[in-house]
Amino acid sequence: MALCASRSICSALQYGGGALVLTIGSATAVIGILYATLQSDVKKLLAYSTVENIGFVFAGLGLALAFKASGMPNAAALAATAALFHVFNHATFKSLLFFSAGAVLNATGERSIEKLGGLIHGMPRTAFAALVGCVAISALPPLNGFVSEWLTFQAILLSPELPQWGLKFTVPAAGALLALSAALAAACFVRAFGITFLGRPRSPIAGRAKETDRLSLAAMFLCVAICLLAGVLPGFVIDGLAPVVRDIVGARMPAQISSPWLSIVPVIESRSSYNGLLVFVFGLLTASLAAYGIHRAASNTIRRAPAWDCGYPDPSPVTQYSADSFAQPIRRVFGTAVFRAREAIEMPPPVDPRPARLTVRVQDLIYDYLYAPVGRGIMLTAERLNALQFLTIRQYLSLVFIALVSLLTVLALWP
Amino acid sequence: MAVILDLAVQGAQMLLVLLLAPLLTGLSRKVKARILSRRGPPLLQPYRDLIRLMRKDAVLAENASWLFRVIPYIVFAATWVAAALVPTFATGLIFSWSADMIAIIAFLATARFFLALAGLDVGTSFGGIGSSREVMIASLAEPAMLMTVFTLALIVGSTQLSTIAATMASGETGLRVSLGLALAALIMVAIAENARIPVDNPATHLELTMVHEAMVLEYSARHLALIELAASVKLLLYISLIACVFVPWGLAPAGAGLFAYALGASLYVIKLAFGGILLAIFETSIAKMRVFRVPQFLGAALMLGLLATLLRFVSGGL
Repeated sequence: MALCASRSICSALQYGGGALVLTIGSATAVIGILYATLQSDVKKLLAYSTVENIGFVFAGLGLALAFKASGMPNAAALAATAALFHVFNHATFKSLLFFSAGAVLNATGERSIEKLGGLIHGMPRTAFAALVGCVAISALPPLNGFVSEWLTFQAILLSPELPQWGLKFTVPAAGALLALSAALAAACFVRAFGITFLGRPRSPIAGRAKETDRLSLAAMFLCVAICLLAGVLPGFVIDGLAPVVRDIVGARMPAQISSPWLSIVPVIESRSSYNGLLVFVFGLLTASLAAYGIHRAASNTIRRAPAWDCGYPDPSPVTQYSADSFAQPIRRVFGTAVFRAREAIEMPPPVDPRPARLTVRVQDLIYDYLYAPVGRGIMLTAERLNALQFLTIRQYLSLVFIALVSLLTVLALWP
Repeated sequence: MAVILDLAVQGAQMLLVLLLAPLLTGLSRKVKARILSRRGPPLLQPYRDLIRLMRKDAVLAENASWLFRVIPYIVFAATWVAAALVPTFATGLIFSWSADMIAIIAFLATARFFLALAGLDVGTSFGGIGSSREVMIASLAEPAMLMTVFTLALIVGSTQLSTIAATMASGETGLRVSLGLALAALIMVAIAENARIPVDNPATHLELTMVHEAMVLEYSARHLALIELAASVKLLLYISLIACVFVPWGLAPAGAGLFAYALGASLYVIKLAFGGILLAIFETSIAKMRVFRVPQFLGAALMLGLLATLLRFVSGGL
């Protein structure tokens, strides 16, 4: 079903549509992740991050369309593989993140990350799984999110060979937007993980949270394993996607699992290659080497003491950075333009004991100017049509008759 | 046999990077001090600091989690792996094919991701302010860096740093407008990423404007030593990166003899020293900017990178 749909989409948008899909996709990615970065409700945050990921997938599909329309089947196969790989990755790490959000919700009954914190102490295994999910979704090596991002960038780097002038301007801008969204995703998930699992509990219930049940943990760790395996051995996923890619764009990427050392090579080796396995083993080796060397040569003892905090630690957990304050720099830099974010500070005069207040107003421009007018229009029409609910049976019958006649007229006049 | 030799060269590069990194930090501190007419610490002081830190007992905050203790090793490993991929004295090392320039940026992003988490772990206000600002800076510096990579990749036709360096060394690319723009963007990103003036100040402590130092405030002893070493390696990595792309002369090609390697290494040390001195001069000649001016600085870097990429898309000759 999905195949037929994408096939018909492909043929319908053959010419020039690629640029449109690419633009919409990359803009969606940036706006989606900006929304996610400003959210405090963990489920809303994940939902907005899905918007970002779908935007990323659409950018890949848009590139594939543009390549296909210009008769570059191999590049189209690369872009389509990147998009589908990202769909697969998103299925794994987003499920993982929703599972862990559910575990946190069960343990604390709290969806707002502003009231959480310190859960890594009570729920260490959930915290580990969520951390893997956050690293994967932030497109960091050696996990799977990085591979699909890397493939998308490789596809973008093939696009100067596209003949259309419009695309020559669109593609680099889209590339910059995708790079921006990837960097913002890392910021978003540092915030999501750091405020939820690290620091000190911001509410009593967060301090009492207990580890979730074994079955839920098993589900999370299954996703963790897939994230790691798909990141370390991406060649198998790429080859697995090849039949679907051939169906969509009529070509496929070169077979990957036969290349030496299980590297992935999108075009030719002198152009680019990535070896998740080698990189992972190498990173593991250097980290263990450092740990071994330090534990042999350096002091091994640990003392616990109150936090340092430049000499002014405050025992109250409200002195920590909150989710809102963490997002403030990003809100100031990007939000003033995208969301018309405004801060109003209400400072009482010096002797007045009332607390100072900071009010932040964020406007959702897309909702206000795109969705809200449509919704208002539908409501207005519905209210006008409300009169039709109170007709007599004769009037209903005549309405049916008129409808029938007009439909038949349309059919008769149809060319 | 050939594989063992290749591995030995790769190992030598990794050791070289690790051993030279504190010296580079020491050099830039010394030059800075001399410009300010102070005597400054001796060149070898960073090594002594590292050894001293290693010998001390680690003091952890009472509520520091397991993650807090693991992060220094992750940060160090990610930075070191990234540095192993950058050509220093030779191109075409055995490990250079396993990841390209995009992956190098991603390794540094991994290191930063975990460091920002470390800032949040103890739950102090300084740690939070550091992490929050670090991710804001990174959210602009990383795309700017990627745009530079795109420009280089489009000029050379490869994202492998080794291939890029070899092509630039051969001189067939010539002087181009896009290369100049990319160099400017890369230097701006390097300054921001290494927490240097005017973006951040590596010498501050107890200052509300600090970013990197605020994140690592709760670390002590061996953990702090690893993080400081990683920061030095990162500075060396950026200078090596700029050197191997924009002044690639003297880089030994793959499989060259011992003499070529020695020549490459000595030229590399000279390039590093030059980079360190230039950095010190730049840092002393400029004032630190307010935190919310940094986005403008990095936004300019991003625009330069984008312009360079756009030029490459529009015309093959620029």
